[in-house]
Amino acid sequence: MTILELKNVSKFFGGLAANTDISFSLEEGKIIGLIGPNGAGKTTLFNCITGFYPPSQGQILFKKQNITGLQPHQICRLGMARTWQKVRPLVKMSVLDNVMVGALCRTNSLKIAREIAMEQLKVVHIEHKTNMPAGGLPIGERKRLEIARILATNPELLLLDEVMGGLNTSESEEIIQLILETKSRGLTQMVIEHDMKAIMRISDRIVVLNSGEKLAEGTPAEIADNQEVIDAYLGESHA
Amino acid sequence: MNSPAKSAITKPPKSKAPPVTYLLATVALLSLLFAFPQIVDSPYTLHMMILIFLSIILGESWNILGGYTGQYSVGHAAYFGTGAYTTMMLMQYAQVPPWLGVWVGVAVAIIVALAIGSICFRLRGPYFVLASIAAAEIIRLTALNVKSFTNGAEGILATDIPPLKLGAILITDFSSKLPFYYTGLILVLLTILMTWLVQHSKLGYCLQAIREDQDAAHSLGINLTLHKNIALIISAAFTSTAGSFYAVYIGFIDPTSVLSLDMSVQIVLICIIGGIGTIFGPVAGAIILVPLSEALRSNMIAQGLFKAGLVGEESSIGIFLKDNLAHSHVLIYGILVVVVILFMPEGVLGFISKFVHGKTRRGVS
Repeated sequence: MTILELKNVSKFFGGLAANTDISFSLEEGKIIGLIGPNGAGKTTLFNCITGFYPPSQGQILFKKQNITGLQPHQICRLGMARTWQKVRPLVKMSVLDNVMVGALCRTNSLKIAREIAMEQLKVVHIEHKTNMPAGGLPIGERKRLEIARILATNPELLLLDEVMGGLNTSESEEIIQLILETKSRGLTQMVIEHDMKAIMRISDRIVVLNSGEKLAEGTPAEIADNQEVIDAYLGESHA
Repeated sequence: MNSPAKSAITKPPKSKAPPVTYLLATVALLSLLFAFPQIVDSPYTLHMMILIFLSIILGESWNILGGYTGQYSVGHAAYFGTGAYTTMMLMQYAQVPPWLGVWVGVAVAIIVALAIGSICFRLRGPYFVLASIAAAEIIRLTALNVKSFTNGAEGILATDIPPLKLGAILITDFSSKLPFYYTGLILVLLTILMTWLVQHSKLGYCLQAIREDQDAAHSLGINLTLHKNIALIISAAFTSTAGSFYAVYIGFIDPTSVLSLDMSVQIVLICIIGGIGTIFGPVAGAIILVPLSEALRSNMIAQGLFKAGLVGEESSIGIFLKDNLAHSHVLIYGILVVVVILFMPEGVLGFISKFVHGKTRRGVS
């Protein structure tokens, strides 16, 4: 079943076309990778899908509902949550409070929110740092905090923007396990990532963007063999 | 290295039932405050206490919007003045007693707040600050120039306050400072209670999330416009109440005293000095700022220097100080504020708790 569908989405900043005529759809429960060189328009596309930028043209359907032009908080309440390329912890609030803010999207009770938050902190393995201010966490744990925070909003679709960026191999591996674990619970995920090994391993499908346009779409194997993608982004070593 | 200690300061562990000692201390402090006018009957001391109460109410109100939500409004004089003018005009022109007028003031302030909020909340950061100043200035200039309505720069002088009666029983005729003292004290307790309730509710979490990162808060399902406006309405309503209280207590208002930028800055300073985004920060700020500004105004520093024998009263320096120090109280005040902001970025309360905590930590290790 299709959970998210993009129909000819374009985003212009003045004369600059950040996204041009992008269409693809996401199957429920799958992981879709979004790759492309820097400036290809990956994060802009995330911003369009999550409501931070209204698309200049086109339509976005989430669970068959047109969400084009909705505000970010409305989209979050519909069950779509995102992380940020540059992590955005609520630095002066504690780790627990950060996740509680996410949980409060679904409940009015602080008590229930606290329980949900504790649960999610256990999922990402930072439950031992609940009372620390989020600003005191190292980058790896900040990334995991962001994942816990959006999991607490009880989403059906997660948009992860370079959650492995700036992490070392073992930290990346933990995130990969987390993503696979989330998949096994039936959640759909869309992942922007530059680590090709990781993205080829976890994705069911991959969409390649280049200069704001969709260059290719297919299974990881298809993408790795696609000459256009190799020329534009992957280079010969991956072929 | 000291991050665990910091965490304990910025985020005290979730309190369970308050320990008995805290409870006793609170009860003792409250009974002292309520008995205070019976112990001290100097009108000047009572006057100072009432001014401190007023500052606490203003600080706590601003704190909801500035401290918890992170929207640094430097135009709170707009709501203070709205409350003051509404109550005063109703009392003088329509013989509406102030304890009814204050509610009208709150209603008008909320309408003004929503109008200002709908424009200013489109902006972020420094642009919001500038817009909030501009909005307050528009209201001041209106009050100054619509003379037929507000009496312009001449202001409004209260002739007499109707006595407060419950049925046939006279509660007070407002002839002394006592009714103002108790009204102020009750308002202080109400605003502190309000702040506590906000901080320990879903609303408080949403507001603080907005303060920390608006986009992150937005992406987590928090409606920015709605929550900023809720914070503004709460803040404006209590500020307006303080304005009504001030107008009736002082008995005279004009655009300069209740609507000026000075007033707005004073309100912000109470929080900055005491500690932003904490329940008792504004209390500390008010307890420091009110006596300080009063001491500077009444030239106590020069007098102190003379009494201590550091400077001869008749010497040339002494005469210079006596002539100029009282006039320069704003300058000294300004320097002190800069010093506090430079060396205590988390306010006096934050500084003290860091100091105390640092000591105990060294003691332990």
